Amino acid sequence: MVAFISKRLLLFIPTLFGVSVIVFLMLQMVPGDPVNTIVPADATEEERMRVTRELGLDKPIYVQFIFWLIHMFQGDMGTSIIKRLPVSELLLPAVGNTLLLAAASAVVSFGLGLAIGVYSAYRPKSWAASLFNVLGLAGIGMPNFWAALILIGIFSVSLGWLPSSGMQSIGGGGLLDTFRHLILPTIAASLTTLGVMTRMVRSTIAGLLQQDFVFALQAKGAPAGKVLRHVLKNGMPTILTVAGLQFGYLIGGSVLVETVFAWPGIGQLIYQAIGQRDFPIVQSGVLVVAVAFVLINLAVDSLHAVLDPRVRHS
Amino acid sequence: MATNVQSIVPDAASAASLPKQPSQAAERWRAFCRRRAALVALVILAAIVLACIAAPWLSPYDPYAGNVKERLLPVGSAGHLLGTDEQGRDLLTRILYGGRLSLLSGIVPVMIAVILGGGLGIIAGYFKGIVNTLIMRTLDILFSFPAILLAIGISASLGPGISNIIISATIVFIPPIARIAETAVKEVKKEEYIEAALSSGAGTGLIIRFHVVNNIFSRLFVYSTTQIGICLMLASGLSFLGLGVSPPTPEWGFMLNNLKQVIFIDPIVTIVPGIFIFITSLALNIVSDALSDVLDSKG
Repeated sequence: MVAFISKRLLLFIPTLFGVSVIVFLMLQMVPGDPVNTIVPADATEEERMRVTRELGLDKPIYVQFIFWLIHMFQGDMGTSIIKRLPVSELLLPAVGNTLLLAAASAVVSFGLGLAIGVYSAYRPKSWAASLFNVLGLAGIGMPNFWAALILIGIFSVSLGWLPSSGMQSIGGGGLLDTFRHLILPTIAASLTTLGVMTRMVRSTIAGLLQQDFVFALQAKGAPAGKVLRHVLKNGMPTILTVAGLQFGYLIGGSVLVETVFAWPGIGQLIYQAIGQRDFPIVQSGVLVVAVAFVLINLAVDSLHAVLDPRVRHS
Repeated sequence: MATNVQSIVPDAASAASLPKQPSQAAERWRAFCRRRAALVALVILAAIVLACIAAPWLSPYDPYAGNVKERLLPVGSAGHLLGTDEQGRDLLTRILYGGRLSLLSGIVPVMIAVILGGGLGIIAGYFKGIVNTLIMRTLDILFSFPAILLAIGISASLGPGISNIIISATIVFIPPIARIAETAVKEVKKEEYIEAALSSGAGTGLIIRFHVVNNIFSRLFVYSTTQIGICLMLASGLSFLGLGVSPPTPEWGFMLNNLKQVIFIDPIVTIVPGIFIFITSLALNIVSDALSDVLDSKG
C-alpha cells in the first residue's frame, strides 16, 4: 500500500512540473509585448527597457520560467495588471467559493446518481428506468451554461423564487441567503455529472447483480438490503473513482456556470480576467485549478488502492 | 509467395465460390437502423446540417440586418418563427447561419485530432521504449488538465477567434485520441499477421500503413464520433465566454452570450439558440452510442 502510494507521489512531481510548463507557455503564446500593457503609450525607450528588466523579460525564456516557478512556490503569483492587487489575494477567496459550489454539486449529483443508478439497475425494464436513461443522456448533452440560463428564466424571472446572480443579497444576508443563491448554480453545475454518475452506477450495479455471489446470497435467503450492501461494497471502488474524476471536472467546468450566475469563484475571476487581458490572473487561476485536478486524481488513485487490494498488485 | 498466402488463408478460394452474402457494411447499417432512437437522431442531425448549409435559400432575411422596430419579438411571431434578437434580427435565420460555424467548430477539431493524435498514438504504440515514454508522458500532462480549462487557457492566450477555438479544442482532444490509438496499436502488434509481415521482410512504413492503420481505424473512428458532441459543447462554451467570433457574426454559443443580457425581458427568446446546441449534441451522442454498439462488436 505504502509502496503504491509513494510511487504515485513520485509520478505526481513530474506531472506537476509539466503542468506548470504548459501554463507558463500559455502566457508566452499571448501575442504582443506584455510591456505594452504596463507602460503608457508615449513611454520613452528607456522606460520600456526599465520595465522589461523589472519583469525579467530580458532574460532567456528558461530563466524566466525558473524565476516564475520559484515565485509560485513562495505563493507569489504576481500582481493583477488591472486590479493592482496581489493575484493570491484575489484567488484565495475565489477558490473557497468555487469549492463550495463544487461540493454542493457533488453532494447532489453523487447522491442522486447513486440512488437513481441503483434503482435503474434493479428495475431495468420499468418505465422510470427508461425515463432516467433518457434524462441521463439529456444531462450529458446539455451545455451547463444553457441549463443555467433556463433555470434563471424559470426560477428567477418567471417565478421570482430564487436570486439569479451573486452569492449574497445586497447588504449581506445570513447562511440562508447564501444557500438560496447556491441552489440554481448547483443544479446547473450538477446536470452533466448527474447524467454520467447515473449511467455509470447503473451499468456497474447491473453487472454485479449478474454475478454468482449475488445468487449465492439470495439462495441462502439473505434479505434484499444485505444483498445490496454486498453489491455496493463491490461496486464502490469503480463508483468512487469516477466520482473523484467528476469532482475534478466540477471544479474545472465551473467557469461557465459561475460566469452566468456571477458566482464569485475562480471561474468568474478567470472569465473577467480574460476580458480585461489580465493574464497573471488567468495563468495563476488555470494553474491552481489544474493542480487541484492533479491532486484529486492522486487522492482518487490512492483511495482506489485502499478500497480495492487488486489495484495495488496489478 | 502466392502459394504462401494460399496456405495461410485456406478459405480465400472457397469463400469466393459461396453464394453472395450481404456485405458487412450492409449488415451493420441494418443493425444501426434497428435502433429506432439512433435512426431518428441521425435524421435530425442530417436535417440540421442541411438546413445550416442551405440557410441562404431557406431564409428570406439577412442574418446581419437588424430592425429597430422589431426587436425581441416573441417566439411564434408572424414572419419570425423563433422571434427576433436584441437588434431585431430574425433568430431562426441567425441560428441557421450560425450553425455553420458551430458545427464546424465541433467537427474540425476532432478530425484534426484524429490525424495528429492518431499519428502520435500509432508512433508511440509501434515503437515503444523511449519514443513511447516521450510522447505518452507529454500527452499525459495535457490530459491532467480539466478539458474546458485547458481550452480556455489556450484560447485566452491566443486571443478570440473561431480558428483559435479550433486550435485549442484540437489540443484538448489529441491526448485522449492518442491514448486510444496507442492501446489499439499495442494490441494489434501482438497479432500473428504482424509477425508474418515482419518475417516476410515488409518495412515498418508498409506495416504501419497497411496493417496497423487498417486495423485500428474502426476503433479510432467510433471513439472520435463520441467526441464530436463533446467538442461541440466545448467550442460553444468557449464562444459563450466571448473567446470565439466577434459581433455581428452569428454563432450558437455567442448568440446565447448576447441574449443573456435580455433574459429579464424575454427569457424564452434568450434560450432558443441553446436548444440547437442541445439537440445537436444529444443527437450526436445517441448516434455515436449506436455506432459503437454496431461497429465495436467484433461478431
